[in-house]
Amino acid sequence: MSEFLAYGFAQRALATGVLLGLSCAVLAFFVVLRRMAFIGVGISHAALGGVAIGVVLGVSPLLAAMAFSVGVAWVIGWISGRGEISEDTTIGVFFPTAMALGVALISLSPTYRQDLVGYLFGNILSVRAVDVWILAGLATVSLGILAAFFKEFLFLGVDEEAARAAGVPAEPLRYLLLTVLAVTIVASIKLVGIVLVSAFLVVPAATGQAVAASMRGMLAVAIGCALASVAGGLWLSWLWDLPSGASIVLLSAALFFAAVVAGRIRRR
Amino acid sequence: MTAVRVEDVWFTYEHEPVLRGASFEVAPGSFTALIGPNGAGKSTLLRILLGLLKPERGRVEIFGSPPGGHRSRAAGGSHPIGYVAQRVRLPSGFPISVAEVALMGRYGRLGLFHAPGALDRARAADALARVGMAEHARRRFSDLSGGQQQRVLIARALAGEPRLLLLDEPTAGLDPAARARFYALVCDLQHAQGLTVLCASHDVEVVSEHVDRLVLLDREVRAAGAPREVLASSALAQAYTFPAPHDHGADGA
Repeated sequence: MSEFLAYGFAQRALATGVLLGLSCAVLAFFVVLRRMAFIGVGISHAALGGVAIGVVLGVSPLLAAMAFSVGVAWVIGWISGRGEISEDTTIGVFFPTAMALGVALISLSPTYRQDLVGYLFGNILSVRAVDVWILAGLATVSLGILAAFFKEFLFLGVDEEAARAAGVPAEPLRYLLLTVLAVTIVASIKLVGIVLVSAFLVVPAATGQAVAASMRGMLAVAIGCALASVAGGLWLSWLWDLPSGASIVLLSAALFFAAVVAGRIRRR
Repeated sequence: MTAVRVEDVWFTYEHEPVLRGASFEVAPGSFTALIGPNGAGKSTLLRILLGLLKPERGRVEIFGSPPGGHRSRAAGGSHPIGYVAQRVRLPSGFPISVAEVALMGRYGRLGLFHAPGALDRARAADALARVGMAEHARRRFSDLSGGQQQRVLIARALAGEPRLLLLDEPTAGLDPAARARFYALVCDLQHAQGLTVLCASHDVEVVSEHVDRLVLLDREVRAAGAPREVLASSALAQAYTFPAPHDHGADGA
């Protein structure tokens, strides 16, 4: 591990991974509580449409993906919030539509197809120093928002009707959580890629839930699992020449299964 | 001053009238049940009282103020409403404790950016003790039975120190014995603390044994009064009678 960390690219990758892992783990707590896993899948895949728009317009693909994904998240939230079409149906419409848009636009730019693999499956080892600072800023803002409104997000997740009755501003907070989710997803694309990022928004919290007896314990295990997956996954990807995203997600899945077994043994 | 005043309230949802000029009052310190068949407008009326829906016409007052007023002065509000709906459905095995659920009853008073303190935890613990759930405070909420979960939700409402408790079908999904125990608990709390309780319920027989007053709602108020009077009224039979099958022959179909 120390040999791996002697490289500048490895240090940048680890710093970025730790920051994003922390954000994803805390966000995953609410994704599991509010059953938002499918929204995560929808937003992450919609990001491909944003990347493609960025390529076509000649602006930063990640910035375009962020704007596009926040827009898609808000539209999903708005349509499903009206109650006429269910949330999963709305996501089922937007997810393939935005992906198809991305595929169609990228097909018009043949020189870009090689970079596409990096967006789909992640390439954190290519992170530049400036990216670390940008992602650090985004992670800090996301964590700050989640901490500031923790009790309100918790109340809304447990009993939305009672929270509304108590005066919790449900609608603004719903859009705020969707925005944090979309921004974190796009920021994490370099870490694990569009295809795998949604797993990173569920698996750490699911691991915490499998093994912890309290909410604090669940959060602590989720954060520990995310950080261990990032550090271990990056090291394994360097050691065995694997894609970083795949090794991070596989390691976090291994931790999840270990936690399920440990949880069952403990309850006996 | 009446606790709840509902005066000529109208509400339409998707061109379908849900409430048509509903009017009734609830006296302070009383336990009133709002009964009526499915689609009678009971939940809609409670949501109007909470300020979550706005009536098209008519006037609603909670202790002399318009609904929702308690929420705008959440911190230290003078007459907050405690609300308990049908059962909470958490993701299976989510490790939130009974004490943490009860503490949520303080969040409305605290408002944004204020973390609960020792006083809030004491109020939540006291509320759990009042519903007989203090010994379960550290257990997972999802490990409790349906009846125990509803007691904890009552404690959550009490933790906010309400003057009015609004219950929306709180015993849905509970067995008959658990329903009877639940209403007996609410009745005890009403008498011990002078709470005003308004409960929308399907359990006409069980709830009638515990309340001071019944209000029969079927889009409009069909009857209101002491349980014995309302149960004996022809309006009750009419409200719960299924409409006669449509005579297709008469239409020439």
